[in-house]
Amino acid sequence: MSAEAALATAAAGVAVGAVSALLGVGGGLLMVPFMVLLLGTDQHVAEGTSLLVIVPTALAGTIAHARNRFVSFRHAAPLALGGVAGVALGATIALGTAPEHLRVVFGVFLGAMGVRTLWQAVRADGARSSG
Amino acid sequence: MRAPGVSTFLVAGAIGIAAGLLSGLLGVGGGIVMVPLLVAVVGLTQHEAHATSLAAIAPIAAVGALRFALAGSVDLGVAVLLAAGSLAGAPLGARVLRRASDNALKAAFGALMIAVAAGLLLA
Repeated sequence: MSAEAALATAAAGVAVGAVSALLGVGGGLLMVPFMVLLLGTDQHVAEGTSLLVIVPTALAGTIAHARNRFVSFRHAAPLALGGVAGVALGATIALGTAPEHLRVVFGVFLGAMGVRTLWQAVRADGARSSG
Repeated sequence: MRAPGVSTFLVAGAIGIAAGLLSGLLGVGGGIVMVPLLVAVVGLTQHEAHATSLAAIAPIAAVGALRFALAGSVDLGVAVLLAAGSLAGAPLGARVLRRASDNALKAAFGALMIAVAAGLLLA
């Protein structure tokens, strides 16, 4: 990786950390397209790398929230159990799907989430200005 | 405090499976699915749901990353740079951005997601 690409990657990390900390939405939605579109990473590698980055960031967030007693571990345990089973299957499906097809699935999901996020913001703004 | 019975366990487990499937398929955390469902179906507050989903995401993402790594689909160098930037920049960035309105940020983020999605679909 060139020095410029390394610098851009670290800067993207900063942006991802800031946005997820503030809006509570996943860095993965931003990290995967960053790698695919700007670094030219293969869709499979981008997804695997994104998941690896999410581990320490989610841990750091959990520690911060656990201190404030916001974490409900009674719910987190079954979530994680179901999630571990789901992610093993989901990753296996992803790895068996051609990168160019997976990229379309990702793009459609990202677009749908973008429309939902934009719609929520516009609706909340309207509700506020109409009293 | 709600008393979590068998049904709560099953409901949370089912939400976990759905979020995990999405997480593994797309390489995302899955919070975008878990947080709204934990609020709407389980009855957690937004804060609890956010914090609880993060706690579940750590092991889910770890298993997902392992599955991709076994297939040789992880770039360790990029991961280290992204993680370092994200961990170092999160508190700093959040402090700076907090001055802007939440809704304006949300709208901007939504627009950015749509633009990036178009880039992925058209490139």
